[in-house]
Amino acid sequence: MNTALALVPAPVRAIGLLLAAVLLEWARVLELRTTPWPALTLLLGGLALCLLSLGWSPDELGLGRSRLPERLLGGLALAGILLLPAAVRWAGGPALAPPFALAAVVVSVGEEVAFRGAAFVALERAFGPAVAVVGTTAGWTAAHVLSHPLQFLPAVAAAGLLLGAWRWALRDLVGPIIGHVIADLAL
Amino acid sequence: MRARLALLVAAVVAYALAAWAVAPGFYDGIAPPQPYRWVSPPPQFRGSNQQPLSGHQSVKVGTNGKTDPATVFTQDGQAAISFTPGAFVTPPDHAPVSIDIKPQPVFPDPGGIHLSTNVYCVTATSTLAAGQQLLVTLQYSDQLPAPSSMYAYQGSGPWQNIGNTGSAAPFYLSARSSTLGCFSAGYPADAGQTAQGARVSGGQAVPIIVALAILVVVLAGIPLAVIRRRSGGDEEDEG
Repeated sequence: MNTALALVPAPVRAIGLLLAAVLLEWARVLELRTTPWPALTLLLGGLALCLLSLGWSPDELGLGRSRLPERLLGGLALAGILLLPAAVRWAGGPALAPPFALAAVVVSVGEEVAFRGAAFVALERAFGPAVAVVGTTAGWTAAHVLSHPLQFLPAVAAAGLLLGAWRWALRDLVGPIIGHVIADLAL
Repeated sequence: MRARLALLVAAVVAYALAAWAVAPGFYDGIAPPQPYRWVSPPPQFRGSNQQPLSGHQSVKVGTNGKTDPATVFTQDGQAAISFTPGAFVTPPDHAPVSIDIKPQPVFPDPGGIHLSTNVYCVTATSTLAAGQQLLVTLQYSDQLPAPSSMYAYQGSGPWQNIGNTGSAAPFYLSARSSTLGCFSAGYPADAGQTAQGARVSGGQAVPIIVALAILVVVLAGIPLAVIRRRSGGDEEDEG
């Protein structure tokens, strides 16, 4: 972590990062309700989330290169798990239009980098791993309150718990990014 | 390590249970929840309404003599049709099939049906081939009760219920149709429709993606595990 971030007390930094991620998600959803350029809004929203990782090293974020083949495969396995309930009941549907497909990639990466990356490592250092997993799951679920009907939120929370558990258990963010991107592109 | 594995397994089980409770399961809301564009807006939306847009696409005939698969969207994404290779009768000159989706201001009286969306008519320069179907997907407003079925008519009517695929993401509804025509999502006017439903926005190839993911994990994971075990054994031998 760079020196500027290190000056902020760890609990304040952690809670601030999580709140910033949630507020950025809400701002994106609210802007989408009025903007004539939804794909651009999604892109900017995803990039803004990525900015929350500034000051953290790739290793701290879980983006180091050790055992990369296993982590890439892990991402595919996560994608399979995330999509399995939809695949079993699949009845077809249109794919995302190309501008939204690109936006989906950026938003997925941004959400992972912000929640399971920066917010996770900050919460873990301030309060320990249990709070990191539970806190990022709660923040991720809150971030989807404005965009999802109430009955979808348990599945959103469970997906957040799964990705957070992966992040903690394997010290890895590559897998959650790959799994999340594939799942968003497919659905 | 066991605690980490236990948490991961518990998280997988929790996800499976939660995702199974609501179709399609994982859904991240990338398709934007923009205000619905009405042809004739309900009173509460009149002030801010924008007119819905139409869609057009030309579908080529492949070298195998069959029309290509495609998804045709309206420009605002409120209506879409998807179809597989050979869905349309190949024109005699192998010319591309031109497909249009247009919102309709005038349509037959739906009678006892409450229409929750605009009416969209799908036209093409060729007819659907025998035994082929379109997947019609319509967005509906998140500010009103959710529709339960897709309704369709050809020519001057009447409206018919063509069902609902049921595998849905929020605020979309899909149904299969064996004819071109006009479509809208709605519910019986005497039904008390209050809850928001689920919507279909599933990718074309979700089962294929999942199968490929499993296949790659298994096919690449086994050799990788063998390599890691051997290199681990070598390290032990060296140590």
